[in-house]
Amino acid sequence: MGIKGVSRLLLCMSLLTATAPGWAADIHGRSSTQFQTSTSGLSADQRQSELDEYLRLSITNIDKAGKFSLYGYGRIGQDFSASEGLNGRLYYLYGEYRGLYDKVDFRLGRQFVNLAAGSAIIDGAQVDLKNVGPVAFTLLGGRDVLFALGGGELGDPANTAMGIAAYLTGFKKTDAEISWFRKWDDGDVSRDTLGGNFRHQLLGSLQIFANARFDLVSESFNEVQAGVKFTPTTSFIFTGEYYESYPIFDTTSIYSVFAVDRYQEGVLRAEYRFDDMISVYGGVTREEYGEGSGAFVWRVGTALRPIEPLGINVEYDARNGYYGKTNGIISDVTYDITKNAQVAGGIDFDVYKRDSMTGDEIARRYYLAGKYRLAKNMAVSGRIQDDVDVRYTKNISGRVVFDYDF
Amino acid sequence: MKNLLLICTVLLMSALYVAQATAQKQPHKEYAEMKISECNDCHKGEGVTLNHDSDWVRSHRTIASKAGNNCGQCHTQAYCLDCHQGGGINADLTRATFGRDYIPRSHRSDFVQIHPLKSLDNPQTCYRCHDQKFCNECHSRYPRGSFRVRSHLPNGGGQSYVWTSEHSREARRNLQTCQSCHPDGDVCLRCHSSKLGAARISPHPKDFKGGNISKRTDRTCRVCH
Repeated sequence: MGIKGVSRLLLCMSLLTATAPGWAADIHGRSSTQFQTSTSGLSADQRQSELDEYLRLSITNIDKAGKFSLYGYGRIGQDFSASEGLNGRLYYLYGEYRGLYDKVDFRLGRQFVNLAAGSAIIDGAQVDLKNVGPVAFTLLGGRDVLFALGGGELGDPANTAMGIAAYLTGFKKTDAEISWFRKWDDGDVSRDTLGGNFRHQLLGSLQIFANARFDLVSESFNEVQAGVKFTPTTSFIFTGEYYESYPIFDTTSIYSVFAVDRYQEGVLRAEYRFDDMISVYGGVTREEYGEGSGAFVWRVGTALRPIEPLGINVEYDARNGYYGKTNGIISDVTYDITKNAQVAGGIDFDVYKRDSMTGDEIARRYYLAGKYRLAKNMAVSGRIQDDVDVRYTKNISGRVVFDYDF
Repeated sequence: MKNLLLICTVLLMSALYVAQATAQKQPHKEYAEMKISECNDCHKGEGVTLNHDSDWVRSHRTIASKAGNNCGQCHTQAYCLDCHQGGGINADLTRATFGRDYIPRSHRSDFVQIHPLKSLDNPQTCYRCHDQKFCNECHSRYPRGSFRVRSHLPNGGGQSYVWTSEHSREARRNLQTCQSCHPDGDVCLRCHSSKLGAARISPHPKDFKGGNISKRTDRTCRVCH
């Protein structure tokens, strides 16, 4: 299915480029040809080498008024070593018509849809009704698309999803939405969710936000989040947040009838930007898993740019509590040698203990990368990475990429 | 006079506040190429908190998940899907790719080993990008019993397991984990079923709304009843 979709995308593009003179459409996008090799240890414990072609394009101004556009994104790949062979994914391919009677936006085709109550990739339609007052409406529905780990798609081809939303529109300092999202699995309703989202700017420096999902099947809140962002100066951002979730399963799964615990977390976080060269951030999260178990997660980091072409990012985080602990650093250094040439490198170092009966284990990742812009619309880049951990004493992976923008 | 002054002040403040709150949102398409650091100049002047800070990956859901969001003014859907659905056309030099798929920074170093711990940090996070079938695709390749799940470990050196005392609490805290290896719950149903031969131990929560499930599907209840 995925490969057929990618073929459709390529066919569509070739038809449009072969049209008669006088064609006014603007075609832009990127073609990215990538050769990758890695030993993932996930889909197969053997080296995979693959050549992929990504294509992302937008065709705008198809009609005189500039209201009709087409957007597409997909990839097709050939795995040379493992069993996955020829594979592909069509991420989206939809036509969009904006401003029908200045009130309706319409999208038809495969697309990513988002509501406070749920999100999905669908083969279907989304209709937005706007300019009818301070409230706008969205209606969407179509076949529910799930991608498989090794390419292609999962699930029943007849699975569908639909949603309805009403939301405030145009207000600079206030966003609010209520929505309903439903999914069907082989004809049965598998998810039935109400969603709400609210964000409001108070007094210039305080933003309050909240969102929630209410599961109509278990009659409980699947997710609740509420918090504040406080920015007393342009350099300082403080975030305080409460979040809780209650696991929800498809009604068609036997797990939907089991008792579960509510997960809760509180987040405190601060970020300070000294100037264009230095910014720092840090925070703590308290996680509660229920029945007396919990964990603390600490995180600090900095982004440095001591001289214009040099960027350094370092982040440390530590988790300690229920089941185990992790300590680790992620670091990246980027350097612009010239306007057209960039190099990068980094080290990740993690020490973790998976449970009380294992000792400390160490995982390291080293990488080097470079990019050279051959022309304004062409670039070649490469990245090589070595992972050293309990499973591999050496695990080299890498990619070589040629990007062409049009 | 005092009361009148107070009422006028409150009305004036309210009018000013409503005028601010109902001010029109600025289209952002023309600012799409700007550096994030430059956004602050305008945002602070307008009294709107900058939302693309270093916490963006964790916090963007509130902004991006709502209908009518303005993400599309600067980003194509590819920007979202490279993370959420495994693309790779936008991967920059600092970003790793897992074969053909872009890997978010949260999937650090040896994620295969540490993902059981990471999946405890807000279990919903996994499901924002992966369907449950994604977990099972991988877990089904490994021999059962080869994972370090506490309730599945031997109790001391003998043949008994920590099962009885631990499995129910572990399951309630993160039931998705059970589903990764037992997608149909076959192991659970040996005890948690009303059918003949099972131990008939109810798995339902105290305020179980079974009618809401049976109204939507007749498949699930009949597994045990």
